[in-house]
Amino acid sequence: MTAGTLGGSDLLLLSAILVPLVLGLAALKPWVRRWGPTLALVAPLPALAAVLLVPVGQSVLLVPAPFRLTLALDAPGALLLGGAALLWLLAGIYARAYLKDDPERGAFSVWWLLTMAGAFAVFLVADVASFYLAYALVSFAAYGLAAHDDTAEARRAGRVYLALTVLGEALLIAAFVMLASSVSGANPLIRDAVAGLAQSPWRGAILGLLLVGFTMKMGLFPLHVWMPLAHAVAPVPGSAVLSGIVVKAGVIGLIRFLPADLPLAQWGMALLTAGLFTAFYGVAIGLTQSHPKRALAYSTVSQMGVVAAVLGAGLAAGDAAAPSLAAFYALNHMLLKGAMFLAVGVAMASGPRHLRLVLIGAAVLGLSLAGLPFTGGALAKYAVKAPVGEGGAGILLALSAGGTTLLMARYVLLLAARGKGADPAAGEAEAPPALLVPWAVLSGVAVLLPFALFTPVTGLGLGGLFSLEGIIKGLWPVALGLAVAALLYQKPPKVSEIPAGDILALTQGLRPALRGLLSAAVRLDAGLRHWSSAALALVLVMVALAVAMGEPQWLQPLWP
Amino acid sequence: MSGGALPGLPPADMLLVLAVILPLFGLLPLLLLGSRLAERLTLLVLAAGLAVALGIGAEVAAAGQAATAFIGGWRPPLGVGLRADGLSAVMLVMTAVVLCATGLYAMTGPATPRAAGERMPTAFWMLLLCVWSALNLVFVAEDLFTLYVALELLTFAAVPLVCLDGKEGQIEAALRYLVFALFGSVLYLLGTVLIYALYGTLDIILAARRASVSPGLVVALAAMTAGMMAKAALFPLHLWLPPAHSGAPPAASAMLSAVVIKAPIFLLVRFWLDLAPESLAVKVGPILAGLGAAAILMCSLVALAQHRLKLLIAYSTAAQIGYLFLMFPLAAAASAWSALAWTGGALHLASHAFSKAAMFMAAGLIAEAVGHDRIKGLTGLGRALPVSVAAFGLGGLSLMGLPPAGGFVAKVMLLSAAVHLGNWWIALVILIGGLLAGGYVLRVVVPALQRPAAPLALRPVAGWREWVALALALVAVGLGFVPLEPSAYLAIGRPASWAEGAP
Amino acid sequence: MSAETLFGLAAAALCAIGIYGLMVGRGALARLIAFNLLGGGVFVLFGVVARRGAGAGFGGDPVPQALVITGIVVAFSATALGAALVERLAQLRAKGGAPSEEPEADT
Repeated sequence: MTAGTLGGSDLLLLSAILVPLVLGLAALKPWVRRWGPTLALVAPLPALAAVLLVPVGQSVLLVPAPFRLTLALDAPGALLLGGAALLWLLAGIYARAYLKDDPERGAFSVWWLLTMAGAFAVFLVADVASFYLAYALVSFAAYGLAAHDDTAEARRAGRVYLALTVLGEALLIAAFVMLASSVSGANPLIRDAVAGLAQSPWRGAILGLLLVGFTMKMGLFPLHVWMPLAHAVAPVPGSAVLSGIVVKAGVIGLIRFLPADLPLAQWGMALLTAGLFTAFYGVAIGLTQSHPKRALAYSTVSQMGVVAAVLGAGLAAGDAAAPSLAAFYALNHMLLKGAMFLAVGVAMASGPRHLRLVLIGAAVLGLSLAGLPFTGGALAKYAVKAPVGEGGAGILLALSAGGTTLLMARYVLLLAARGKGADPAAGEAEAPPALLVPWAVLSGVAVLLPFALFTPVTGLGLGGLFSLEGIIKGLWPVALGLAVAALLYQKPPKVSEIPAGDILALTQGLRPALRGLLSAAVRLDAGLRHWSSAALALVLVMVALAVAMGEPQWLQPLWP
Repeated sequence: MSGGALPGLPPADMLLVLAVILPLFGLLPLLLLGSRLAERLTLLVLAAGLAVALGIGAEVAAAGQAATAFIGGWRPPLGVGLRADGLSAVMLVMTAVVLCATGLYAMTGPATPRAAGERMPTAFWMLLLCVWSALNLVFVAEDLFTLYVALELLTFAAVPLVCLDGKEGQIEAALRYLVFALFGSVLYLLGTVLIYALYGTLDIILAARRASVSPGLVVALAAMTAGMMAKAALFPLHLWLPPAHSGAPPAASAMLSAVVIKAPIFLLVRFWLDLAPESLAVKVGPILAGLGAAAILMCSLVALAQHRLKLLIAYSTAAQIGYLFLMFPLAAAASAWSALAWTGGALHLASHAFSKAAMFMAAGLIAEAVGHDRIKGLTGLGRALPVSVAAFGLGGLSLMGLPPAGGFVAKVMLLSAAVHLGNWWIALVILIGGLLAGGYVLRVVVPALQRPAAPLALRPVAGWREWVALALALVAVGLGFVPLEPSAYLAIGRPASWAEGAP
Repeated sequence: MSAETLFGLAAAALCAIGIYGLMVGRGALARLIAFNLLGGGVFVLFGVVARRGAGAGFGGDPVPQALVITGIVVAFSATALGAALVERLAQLRAKGGAPSEEPEADT
């Protein structure tokens, strides 16, 4: 781990971040930008190679103390990095075709590359300052993806997203500063800083800030309001990486910064409760949506609730295995959700005949997300059962899979309505191969990849899963969900669509208050900038300074 | 006399004197030359002055002790001493870089035909050099009365900069600035005379050695501090700053907001860290920080409500000054963390100088190209003036305290110190200030990234001037790669004494 | 009452008037005069300090005297600059023909 000699695998890790970053910055030049959509295909390759070739556990100190810029590939990071690189590559191929008539596709690819650099970095860096930098990069660059279409809706979504992002950054920097100060020396490794958490006098404050900051990115209730807005307005491939990858920055944050082997029962229970609540809340609001992308965004809210619940259960018990399992679940969600978003674009380009095939594919993806036995999703659901346990939380988790089934049924129905099915002229229309192939490949990988990774990650055999008991346990929530879906389809309840961002509407009342605050500040400022008040202030400042220094006797009773 | 610590460089004492008189010598021929020539000569002087400042910085670093010079060979208390420690050297270099960039920005391009005239009148170049000489004197002088003269010279050079175009609003702003700054100076002079009466010396170091808590010293310090606050436009004494900084020509605004405003703050640091007994500094710290906090909160809110870009930037300056005052209670505490706060404050000062100069320059170019600086009318500007918008955005990044900018490292240092010293309210103000800065920066940058409703009709601006602004913003970002620990360089020559330099 | 005390009190009175003038003065010219009064008070204080040096057996401390002279020059230049600005402003306003019922109310 010396800075002087960088081995081949060290360079590979570094290039995973640097290649997209440098390409993104180079694409600021117009003549490079013209090649942006193609460059976006090259950019994820080093990361993919790094995951395949670099052994897990590798760490490299790029710049020695006091900077201590360090990269490390650990198991959760490798899972998420690999999935992200793959999704990014396939979504890049898709985006190249999807945006080929968009005059602004060059600008889109700048944001695309920068977000990619930030996302890869966030999975790889091991020191606190670099993590903050990477996290800020992925968060702010993602704004460009979400706001690309520049409609009034997109602008609003972008504003909400940025406001919450800036807030999240402030919360996290406060947490990081307190966390890092338990370790001597500038910019400690995350691992060392977290190890000091047990003794920190500010443990409660740090944990609170970390949880709020990271769960905001994951979209946990009530901080999810930006997610349905931002993920629904982005162009389809943008939504895929936003919902698939960018939200995982919050997941990796929790994985890295929550102590793995220090049981914190109350904090863990709080996270578990919030996660479970969000898992159901996302389904409930998502069911009312009329656009498949918004339904998917709410599904992401719900799924991140599940991840949070798993991490919360692990935190409460001090279960060191929980982070890897949560990462496994997150990887599963990453690929599936990416594929489901891509399906929206494919469906919109397909005529009735092909649409049917697309819908079947989408249904399989949805059922996998819900954990239908013999799909990859079932493995993910099975993996996270261990930390959550069999008790009430376990039952709720299983029920949430039923909710997911229901929401996915809704998604498939909405998808059917979006196709060109209603348009008789569309007849045999077929999505171009450049859209179809990446989607099909991603779908296949999403459903099958968990089988390959299950045993290495969890250390469990597949046997328990394919036993009758295992199948029943996986099947009943899905069956329940499908049954409810069928009932609802027969007798649709009269529920009006809840506007995306749901409880954001409650903050409408804050706007006049904010405006009032601003105008009060302006008025006060104008008053203070009068000569007479400024002159008085000058005298008062002088007197106050003298009094503070002199501490005269008559002030003694007032003095602390 | 101390010789040069580095071979090949003139002795340090000569460099110190040069830093002050070189701009003045450069000033004299400007009276005789035509304006195009005046411009070119000023740029030469700026380059030479930058070399001098860098030379001082290198000498201080190589010697590991403050550089000193005694005018006429007379040591204080008989003579006047100049002294550059680590902080002074940083300020000298920072000022030189900002002013060189300002010079380049204000220069008439080589391609401009002679008949088109110059961008800036000769008076601008004279005032620029005058400001520089005064600033350098403030940074190296140790004598209270010399400092008074330097401050007045600075005011007299800065006030005409505000009203270079001679418009009515500018003259009003200049007059407001002049009168309030004069009151500040005279309060400072009151403190000076009291200190002389008490200790029989005007030398800060000698006075500090003799200083003990007495009513006279208390009044002197209160008057001097209030005077400097008035000159630094610390809330609620900021009545002159918004009109003056927003009304001046952009090159002048950049100078005023980036470096001129830092001179009184530098002196406050001198007073409270070098001159005043620690027992007094500890008591005053909370008041300074309290006003700083009020400045951050109030002026940031007012900046959020502005409709014009230059006023927004000016209010942002008034807010950012507050951060420098937050440093006082942290740096005055006797703790290992105060060194970190001290480094953070100095870093904030420098990164604010670079980013604010870049932002004013960018705003000037934007106003030139668009013909106005109403924030509402800037939608879609990112496509038309990408470099200027990038300069503004990167400068804003530093103000928001986001990585990898200098403002981020400074914020982390101040936050760490505040948390460790138990000043929770300071930590909270720093965080809220960052949020508000995010608000007012993004209010400009986000619409600029959107697509314009109608194509913007733009007048052309010289590309290299945009790059000057961007280069300054990149310097501010580059300061983010300073290690997160107390700087050894800033500790050179502290605590202040005349021990260095052979008699 | 010694001469020092008397002059000290006079200096304090001048300072007070100057600061009062800053607070209530209407118009830039009034504030410039207030500045001069405050400055005058400080200069008198310098004189008192110089006189105190005589207590040590000297005929008077020359340093404050030198400072006062410099200070007066600086204050004079400041006043001149301020007056020039006031005049220029008045010209501009006259040319603009703005109806100014309170010409320098808040400059």
